[in-house]
Amino acid sequence: MAEWVRVAAVEDCPPGEFRALAAGRQRIVLCNVEGDFHVLEDRCSHEDLPLSNGDLEGSEFLCIHHGARFDVCSGRALCLPAIRPVKTFPVEVRDGDVFVLAG
Amino acid sequence: MAETTTIEGVTEAINRAAVEARSHGEPAWLAQRRAHAWSVYESLPLPTTRREEWRYTDLRRVLDLDALHLGSTEAGPDDPSSYPERLRATMNEDHEAAGHLVFIDGAVVHTDIRDDLASLGVILMPLRQAVREHPELVESHLATEAVPPEEGKFAALNAALWSDGVFLYVPRGVRLDNPVRVTRWISEAGAAFFSRTLIVAESTSQVSYVDEILSDDFDTQTLASAAVEVITRDGAQVQYVSLQRMGRGAFYQSKQRTLAGRDSTLDTLNVTLGASVSRVDLNARLMGPGANSDMLGLYFGDDDQHFDHNTSQDHEAPSARSDLLYKGALDGHARAAFRGIIRVHEGAQQTDAYQTNRNLLLSEHARADSLPNLEIEADDVKCSHGSTVGQLDDDHLFYLMSRGLSREKAERLVVVGFLGEVMSRLPLGGVVEKVTRAIAEKLRA
Amino acid sequence: MPQNEVIQGLELDEYKYGFVDEEKHVFRTQPGLSEEVVRQISAQKEEPEWMLEFRLKALQIYESKPMPTWGGDLSKLEETLDEIYFYVRPQDRMERSWDDVPENIKNTFERLGIPEAEQKVLAGVGAQYESEMVYHSLKEEWESKGVIFDSIEDGLKNHPELFRKYFGTVIPSADNKFSAMNSAVWSGGSFVYIPKGVELETPLQAYFRVNQERMGQFERTLIIADEGSRAHYIEGCTAPTYSTESFHSGVIEIVVNRGAHFRYTTIQNWSNNMYNLVTQRALVHEHATMEWLDGNLGSKLTMKYPSCYLVGEGAHGNILSIAYAGDGQHQDTGGKVIHAAPRTTSSIVSKSISKGTGRSSYRGLCKVYDGAVGAKSNVECDALLINETSRTDTYPYIEIEEKRSNIGHEATVSKVGDEQLFYLMSRGMSEEEAMALIVRGFIEPIAKQLPLEYAVELNRLIELEMEGSVG
Repeated sequence: MAEWVRVAAVEDCPPGEFRALAAGRQRIVLCNVEGDFHVLEDRCSHEDLPLSNGDLEGSEFLCIHHGARFDVCSGRALCLPAIRPVKTFPVEVRDGDVFVLAG
Repeated sequence: MAETTTIEGVTEAINRAAVEARSHGEPAWLAQRRAHAWSVYESLPLPTTRREEWRYTDLRRVLDLDALHLGSTEAGPDDPSSYPERLRATMNEDHEAAGHLVFIDGAVVHTDIRDDLASLGVILMPLRQAVREHPELVESHLATEAVPPEEGKFAALNAALWSDGVFLYVPRGVRLDNPVRVTRWISEAGAAFFSRTLIVAESTSQVSYVDEILSDDFDTQTLASAAVEVITRDGAQVQYVSLQRMGRGAFYQSKQRTLAGRDSTLDTLNVTLGASVSRVDLNARLMGPGANSDMLGLYFGDDDQHFDHNTSQDHEAPSARSDLLYKGALDGHARAAFRGIIRVHEGAQQTDAYQTNRNLLLSEHARADSLPNLEIEADDVKCSHGSTVGQLDDDHLFYLMSRGLSREKAERLVVVGFLGEVMSRLPLGGVVEKVTRAIAEKLRA
Repeated sequence: MPQNEVIQGLELDEYKYGFVDEEKHVFRTQPGLSEEVVRQISAQKEEPEWMLEFRLKALQIYESKPMPTWGGDLSKLEETLDEIYFYVRPQDRMERSWDDVPENIKNTFERLGIPEAEQKVLAGVGAQYESEMVYHSLKEEWESKGVIFDSIEDGLKNHPELFRKYFGTVIPSADNKFSAMNSAVWSGGSFVYIPKGVELETPLQAYFRVNQERMGQFERTLIIADEGSRAHYIEGCTAPTYSTESFHSGVIEIVVNRGAHFRYTTIQNWSNNMYNLVTQRALVHEHATMEWLDGNLGSKLTMKYPSCYLVGEGAHGNILSIAYAGDGQHQDTGGKVIHAAPRTTSSIVSKSISKGTGRSSYRGLCKVYDGAVGAKSNVECDALLINETSRTDTYPYIEIEEKRSNIGHEATVSKVGDEQLFYLMSRGMSEEEAMALIVRGFIEPIAKQLPLEYAVELNRLIELEMEGSVG
């Protein structure tokens, strides 16, 4: 069942950066876009490969394996070869810690 | 993360110390092999989806090796009345056998071997016993020719940590009319079990073998790892059948290799119905001219079951034949991957090699991946492969429904018919009925 | 670094008729690939800042990606790449003389009956192709319809918005190591726009417009077929194409908008020292059709898998692939169809011939996404083996997430049958003639789709190739 899991402190992931983390058994990418946190599943929708090898560029995440791009807020695929969105997870900041609803 | 739990006073993590503990009291050659296998295991990275053979199974996500502890190897009492109900039920369905071994968790609890086998020179016994009683035979064949640790991460782990298994040796010219049966029951949740099967059929001998594994559902991930080695010498005939009917929560992994000698027949059937994740690797090597292998597979997944079959047909000698047929039906969110390759090596002229994978998707959310590959380095060959993915044929269904069948019944009939084609090619006593019943149960669920 | 040789950029006029003059300017970058080389290319082409950034980013991606370990043998490629010039201005490539062209290539030209002027173009020593006049009248017709058929460089200069909207969106730099390399150093290729509803009878031939440029090592082509249009683009040629360079890596991006019908034909017959690593992909919208006709006859190693992303309902993709691998050649080719919308349909037909120590491999993907209800795809691969030492492989990937779809794949491997040969020889044919006839029959379904002059030349080529195949 999904539950809120603390994954990092706010200062662990400064604006413009991302971190590959685990929320329980779920592998995620925590992205900080100008102070707002977004969480994607660490798995490209094109092939079963980790997104976290790629890069956060503004509000887009580039999967380095085949060049797919995703909107970090919605998970939407922005260019080929990806067609489907990547999974996103709800995220909250509580008392300087980042919590993710995952399971 | 799951804590390593203590059962009957035994707590063992999967590490080098455990390998040393397993070696205790074993001959030096075996202890060395285990230690070597563990080194191989440590030197190999866990395969990722970037590896072709693991493209469709992300081990990172579906297996947590660190959370597992080594399963118990203590034998319980040999008292069939105390067996779990499903185990008893499946044993009741078994027909006559040349010999029957029953394993519960990591240890053999029951052996019932026909009296005349010993006088024929047939050796059928638990592998540990064979290590003691037939060291020369076991030493030369175990994890050497067929599934050595270098084959991969799981092969290495199994070679390091196997707790028991079966050794079957059939001497020249001996033919067994009834199959050998092995039934394994796994009960300990959160544990890892490693077993091996070693079958050596000398020239012109004949034997069939049915290997069945079952369990109830587990609430924590439980690993059953198998290594299967089948060797036929000139003109021998062997049929090997594996039935996997484990419960949910199980991670089943089986690495199989068959070595077929001159003019021998070495047929296999893999039936995959159970476990949450099931991975079967089968490599058939056709090593002698005129060797012949039928390779059959059948799978039926539902809920979120994940099946991955990885086969290869190596034609190393001329005039050999292999014919693979894997058929599967997928319901719910089930997903199946089939990756097969025919390799016709240089000089293997007059090869006949075929490979067919057919999938039936029964639900909106099921998924099938199929990679039937060919690598041909000889010109005088007959090779083909085919792969299809489709849904139930509406015309066929309507016809049956027009004959008064309900939609569910009609569907069941079509699915059973679709999968039944596979079993009709290896109609071993009792297996067809057992599998048909198991499929029907799944369809009703 | 040849600083003193740097010249000012090309005047647009020089490209007006698609031919460059013969001024003896020499500009080329130093061998090997570096940031400096990429900057020089971009400066030389007087590109906008965004393109320089695009190139530099691509270079980083290229450097971060490992050499592929699948497909053909690329183990010797690294050395080759250290030695090649990543940019030679087109007109500077013609320093070779006819005497430098290997005898066997000249002989093949002769025996194919190729006119002398054309021979020189194919061998990379001539300047112009005789069809200039034909091209001029066609060009007027195209312009009157609003068709854009420019060099890729002119496309960027003259149609910056249209160009930027689509460039790199079908094939991102990071798609693979060689698309990243191309994105960093691309030079030459075509920019094509077919306006809404325009139908072109005569194929657009890269052959007409550019001369040396089509030999570009890093050709980049971007094609947009707008709604309801219909056109056919042809590049390459059946006759042997001789180049002293040993590496070619192109990127071809095509967008086929709603209801359009576009066919792209490539025939390559590069000389046998060439690594030919090409990425070709089409994005196909609602009820549009994309057809790839891909013929691979030459090169040492070709890795090329034209693909159709069927993203609009009712889109159709069609891939016809033919490969011939002679001694020492490896053709690793095939096609990909991705069904991402309902009622999309596709077909892949691949025919390959391996002779001597040649190896041909089919590699393909058929993917059906969840929701692509009613998708249908059929893949057929046939391989013909001529000799004992020949090799063929088939590597199809079939990934199906949608129950309401119908997908089939079949492959067969055969050798030229003794009975067939015996029959033809009993009718008075030599064994070689009989072999050529059988091979022609084998590829006929694809050859008949080619424009006549290509088909005729292909047939003559097969006769030549079958000589010495017997015994």
